[in-house]
Amino acid sequence: MRHFLDALKNVGTIAKSFVRPRVTVEFPKQLRPRAERYRASFALLHEADGDEACIGCLQCERICPSKVIAIKGPVKRDSPITGKKRSYADDFTLDLSACIFCELCVQVCPTDAIVMTREQEEPAYGRETLVLTMAKLYENEKSKTRAWGDGTKLMGMQVPPKPPAEAKPADAPKPVEAKPAEATKPVEAKTAATPPPEAPKPVEAMAAATPPPDAPKPVGAEPAGTANAPKPEVKADGPAGPNGGTS
Amino acid sequence: MTQLTVSARPRPNPYLPIDSLDPEAELMLLHFGPQHPSTHGVFRMDLYLDGEIIVKAVPYVGYLHRAVEKLCEKLTYVQQTPIVDKNDYVAPMTNEQALVMVFEAMLKLEVPRRARWMRSLFAELQRIASHLLAIGTFSLDLGGALGGGSTAFIYCFRERELILDLFEDVTGSRFHYNTHTIGGNRHDLPVGWGAKVKAALELIESRMPEFAALTIENHLFQQRTKGVGVLEGALALELGITGANLRASGVDHDLRRDAPYSAYDEVKVKVATASGGDCYARSIVRVEEVKESIRLCRALLDGMPEGPINSGKPVKLPVQTKIPVGQTYVGIETPRGELGTWVIADGTQNPYRLKIRPPSLHALAALPYILPGQTVSDAVAILGSLDPIMGEVDR
Ligand code: SF4
Ligand code: SF4
Repeated sequence: MRHFLDALKNVGTIAKSFVRPRVTVEFPKQLRPRAERYRASFALLHEADGDEACIGCLQCERICPSKVIAIKGPVKRDSPITGKKRSYADDFTLDLSACIFCELCVQVCPTDAIVMTREQEEPAYGRETLVLTMAKLYENEKSKTRAWGDGTKLMGMQVPPKPPAEAKPADAPKPVEAKPAEATKPVEAKTAATPPPEAPKPVEAMAAATPPPDAPKPVGAEPAGTANAPKPEVKADGPAGPNGGTS
Repeated sequence: MTQLTVSARPRPNPYLPIDSLDPEAELMLLHFGPQHPSTHGVFRMDLYLDGEIIVKAVPYVGYLHRAVEKLCEKLTYVQQTPIVDKNDYVAPMTNEQALVMVFEAMLKLEVPRRARWMRSLFAELQRIASHLLAIGTFSLDLGGALGGGSTAFIYCFRERELILDLFEDVTGSRFHYNTHTIGGNRHDLPVGWGAKVKAALELIESRMPEFAALTIENHLFQQRTKGVGVLEGALALELGITGANLRASGVDHDLRRDAPYSAYDEVKVKVATASGGDCYARSIVRVEEVKESIRLCRALLDGMPEGPINSGKPVKLPVQTKIPVGQTYVGIETPRGELGTWVIADGTQNPYRLKIRPPSLHALAALPYILPGQTVSDAVAILGSLDPIMGEVDR
């Protein structure tokens, strides 16, 4: 009897789902709207005057955790647009097959040259198809929708609370090229605009920041490892706390 | 630390060689996994069976080993956040949080209040998503009771999708967010996001009775889970089991309340416990935690402070972040329990050693103790109820 009632209840639940609006879409015919910040593929951008924005500074190559960006350069040559000497990336390759879409390369770019695009990349038959060459990256600029983020915006979101102390070192490693002014100014403007940074709270709120970081008091028989303490001994025997009996 | 339930059942000794249990070699050896659909990844157990009863269980892990810890030693501090995302691939948010928190502790960096609240909000949303998946896959493991099984699984998946959409709005990624950074967060909340979260929470809350009807209130579900795979509190503590599995065994332990981090010192957590220690108790605790997380999310959203989201310099060069010599352990409460990270720094931009303490590995350690005496079909239920994630176990 109980099972019968349960079954009836379940059928009722399932019946409710029949009248609800569908949540799935027929994928290849119909695409779900992608978020504004969606990260799927890459594009290299041109500047407003038509010159390549990338200056070949290698920042993105250095930060990439998967080491999938390979840049030849930087090389100095005359700009075909302005005629002034500036640096360029001679060649730029991004191997999408090993990229983990962490967005770090976009974040560090001082000239907002590399951005992400929102179209999901199509599946490919070979790895070579997934390698984005410089030509493909510049083509993506035109053929794909840009994601919201670029270096300036992503950096601008992370406004440090103490502008005078932080502004200098953050700017220092930036190569004095192309348009660093444009890359930094919005950050500073925003810094000034934000409400006065909170005074550091006297009570250290993050438990993690205190030296004995995490020994849960109720269990804490042994310190699970304090800063600069001798190695936290790993107890294999005896009733250790949830912190203790690590493998 | 309250009421430890001590059962009269003698605790099996998993270290007894099989020859002593089975001198005539009459037991059947069943290889469970590694590609079994109910092993939640790639996980293998050798089950020695007497008829249908398990006499001895030997778990083997390591099929999903990706050398994450070694990789972290080779990468600079700022490059590691996207890597650890892949450890617990059901709750990447809390992985990142655990990692950056230990670096912040070593750098003595204070995280702005808004970033701390955002981290807690993300963690709670992730907990809802992760527990929904756990409840769903658990009913899938239990199989085809009417409306149990895959129906509940698909329903839970549908609701979990809402939370992935929310994360997509903030970070641009559905899964491997890379939104935590040393000193704060990388992405600020977009305009109008709070309303979306509220709507999603509303919907999930309204569907909770349906999930309950399909799972924990269903008598078939209860018959499959009650009294199955009883894990005593004392044993759980010895094995270092944390999270919902520990709380289901009657041990009242939750790092969010006992060692508050991020915003949990301001937003108090009501910890859900159950006393049975069986598969049913573990499901109950997860369902209760979803409800509690919905409440926490609302509180965090309502009190979300304004201000900066990052206290450090935004990442520019990987070699910029150097951590002074020392070692620290920080643990946080992820959906699966205490995820700890222990870092030994040698003053350079790479850690000398980085050890991740995954809660799922410890949950699996219970299997040799609780499986003997159960049937093979219950082995699937017990494994599912522990909610292990192999990516995190093997790293
Ligand atoms: S960081 Fe930007 S400017 Fe520098 S090489 Fe990469 S894409 Fe070009
Ligand atoms: S998004 Fe891809 S290419 Fe860019 S840094 Fe990350 S892994 Fe490298």
